[in-house]
Amino acid sequence: MVVLINFPLCTVNGERVHVPDGFLTLPWIVATYLATGAYALYAKMKAKLTPEKVTAMSVLAAAIFVAQMLNWPIPGGTSLHFVGGALAYLLLGPWLGFFTEATVVTVQALVFHDGGITTLGANILNMAIVDGVVGYLVYKAVTKVMGNTRKARLIGAFLAGWAGITVAGIMAGLEIGLSPSFPYGVATTVPVMGGWHALLGIIEGIITALVIDYLYERNSPLVVHLR
Amino acid sequence: MSVAEMYSKYKKALITIAVLLVVSPIFGVILANAVGYHEPLDVAASMLHLHEVNLGDWTPFADYTVPGLPEAIGYIVAGAIGVAIILGLGVLLSRMVGNESA
Repeated sequence: MVVLINFPLCTVNGERVHVPDGFLTLPWIVATYLATGAYALYAKMKAKLTPEKVTAMSVLAAAIFVAQMLNWPIPGGTSLHFVGGALAYLLLGPWLGFFTEATVVTVQALVFHDGGITTLGANILNMAIVDGVVGYLVYKAVTKVMGNTRKARLIGAFLAGWAGITVAGIMAGLEIGLSPSFPYGVATTVPVMGGWHALLGIIEGIITALVIDYLYERNSPLVVHLR
Repeated sequence: MSVAEMYSKYKKALITIAVLLVVSPIFGVILANAVGYHEPLDVAASMLHLHEVNLGDWTPFADYTVPGLPEAIGYIVAGAIGVAIILGLGVLLSRMVGNESA
């Protein structure tokens, strides 16, 4: 990790975890759009939307959108902000959670140019599918082993937030590193993205655990799936 | 159930969203400018010499700014626009779903 922190930093401003246009080659653009489209179709079939579920989704999406605007700069290093894919899946389940996080990422790209158009499929894949699915599976595994206790929820949600964002970071590293123009790029991008996100993911995990615990203990209507 | 009734259940969440919006420039603008702003993605991209390609300016609110407004105020207004769009989409979709099931 020390090696990674000592890498020289570039001075690009304004981009976040969102991949901008120009970073992906055509095969990755097509593949990520197809994968995202397939998941979206399946999620639409499974979601069984009701007005109440849609309201919960929109409130959570608005909250995650605003939370993503709070960057926590780390002097001399990097910055982080909450991503929320795992949180959305834990609160609303893997289908409603997907549409919640995908809405956030799409509004960011279309309205605020935060992330590109050609890379929108990849950004939804990373933040609204990989982050969420990994987090969801980790949480389910932890609560299966430890039982449905408050302690299990806290540990499960922490590990879900951490693992989700770490694997999503690795995925983004694979996408930008595995392109024909950079045959060895993946050896650079995966350790950098995975390493940093494993570190920053600790904060994502802590926030995910605290929010899940707070909402669960107070019987919030945002807890649709865990009950 | 009316839209207002449905959202009234989320009063606390909506207040939290409003508070986060107001404090967001402290983190998104002031501190970010003070210490420099770097993402792991930027680091990885610079090592591969990847460059962003601008496919056009499709929005006046790029990077959470609002034309004519100072950066910090623009950040709050841009955030409010994003929240309004997301909640607006929620109201529209909720009505569509309600009509379908009626």
